[in-house]
Amino acid sequence: MSSESSPGVLTWLATVVATCLLLFFFQKILWLVVPCLLALVLYYCLRPLMQALVRAGLKHRAAARVVAGILFLATVLAVVLLLPAVASHAADWKAIMLNYLQGGLDFAKRTEELLVQKLGLLHRSFLGSPEMKLDAISEKFADNYLGSFLLQMMHWLPSLLLMPYLTYFLLQDGNRFKKQLIRGVPNAFFEKTLLLVDRIDRSLQNFFVGLMKLTVLDTVCLALGLWLLGISFPLLLGLIAAVFAWVPYVGSIAGCLLVVLVAATDFPTQPGITYGCILLFLGVRMLDDFVFLPLTVGRSLRIHPVTSVLMLFLGAAVAGPIGLVLVLPVWGVVALVTEMLGQIFTDPRLIKRFRQAKQLRMRLADTT
Amino acid sequence: MKSPLSFFGNSAAADAQRIRQLQALTLFKELTARELRELEELLHERSYEKDEIIFDEGDAGLGLFVVMSGRVKVSSSHAALQRLGPEFGPGDYFGELALFDEAPRTARAVALEPTQILALFRKEFFLLLERDRGIGVKILFELSRTVCLRSRKLVLQEQHLPTV
Repeated sequence: MSSESSPGVLTWLATVVATCLLLFFFQKILWLVVPCLLALVLYYCLRPLMQALVRAGLKHRAAARVVAGILFLATVLAVVLLLPAVASHAADWKAIMLNYLQGGLDFAKRTEELLVQKLGLLHRSFLGSPEMKLDAISEKFADNYLGSFLLQMMHWLPSLLLMPYLTYFLLQDGNRFKKQLIRGVPNAFFEKTLLLVDRIDRSLQNFFVGLMKLTVLDTVCLALGLWLLGISFPLLLGLIAAVFAWVPYVGSIAGCLLVVLVAATDFPTQPGITYGCILLFLGVRMLDDFVFLPLTVGRSLRIHPVTSVLMLFLGAAVAGPIGLVLVLPVWGVVALVTEMLGQIFTDPRLIKRFRQAKQLRMRLADTT
Repeated sequence: MKSPLSFFGNSAAADAQRIRQLQALTLFKELTARELRELEELLHERSYEKDEIIFDEGDAGLGLFVVMSGRVKVSSSHAALQRLGPEFGPGDYFGELALFDEAPRTARAVALEPTQILALFRKEFFLLLERDRGIGVKILFELSRTVCLRSRKLVLQEQHLPTV
């Protein structure tokens, strides 16, 4: 009988090294990793719908086609509707972005002045002249940022259109693919491998579906709070901030900064609203940690908070921003695999059985 | 539309042959062709050589095994099972208790000759139960019948297991 002992130092080290190597590799083939990852997210989110269709009487393949058809139509509609709007308003973005940046810098400057005035702690300006910095950004914006941003979008478009296609084949052939994978495993490790594949499948499903639920909950809470504070585009801002929060810790701060910029620009003479936004983010953060996370993502990846933070630093160092996003799910899967491999290779019964089967096959090969 | 992963699958003729094979098995005899296709997605085929251990006493039981071809001998350190020393041939299934609980295996199963086996993993079986209760009920009924017969034989200390 296999005892499920906690992983040792070697297993832990192997997990760290394998995670770093995978992130490094993923960064090199990002054009493929991003659609595959999104397809995986969609697969786990749409699988319950497909199963419901199967329960309703549709054949497995037909259900996969119906679900993939809906997804494909939604993607095409989104591209057809959004792309012209995005392209036609590209020039306005510059003005909007600079306006909000200016608002944010003004807010920071006013806060700094208030601190100097009230506390007398700061004697020199940390921010310099915000106007000078913005002028520099404004001059280079069209040359340095806008063109390359649009090019990047066009570059990613075909890759992202791959996503519904991949999702369809995952829905249709996911089980068969899993079976083929398991077929190659020696008999001695067959049951353990089944268990491993099942654990990975469940962990990823809990993680991705939980993440989507968490995004919806965060969006609703933030949008409601921002709407009550009177901020413009509360739903859009809430959604962007909730998506930013996919990157643990860092993402929440980035989302908060974005909303602060908008609030400081929309209400330059009412700093109370900007502080209100910061308080709202802190409140939603606490709700996330104590209520939403346990209800949604939970302990699906079984990662200790300290390990999470360390791995985020490591992920960022190895693969930059994409490392920040990918490091936790990759770590979760790699940890499961290394833990299970550790259990298999330290189980003398399984090793003995594997060797016995190998000898039997060798003997058979000799006699035939 | 032909799937790029279709090389994993079988041709239509092989598929029909496979469904006929499954329908011939006692455990799945009540299932329709559509239900068998659903089930087939979850079954794992394994080949064992003569004298190869399929599972050992004390292993964590994760699912049941159905013999497609060949013979399997089950031995145990438990007195009652030791006396019976059951053998399983084509169509028989064993290790069914692992579908109901996570207790360690109570016996060792060894292939007596080259043997083809289908394995049904507990967690996948539960998924099937959630997805299609009709299939689950038919399999569970057959399993319950067999468990009852085997328990009765064990209590009565009969030498041969019933035909299953």
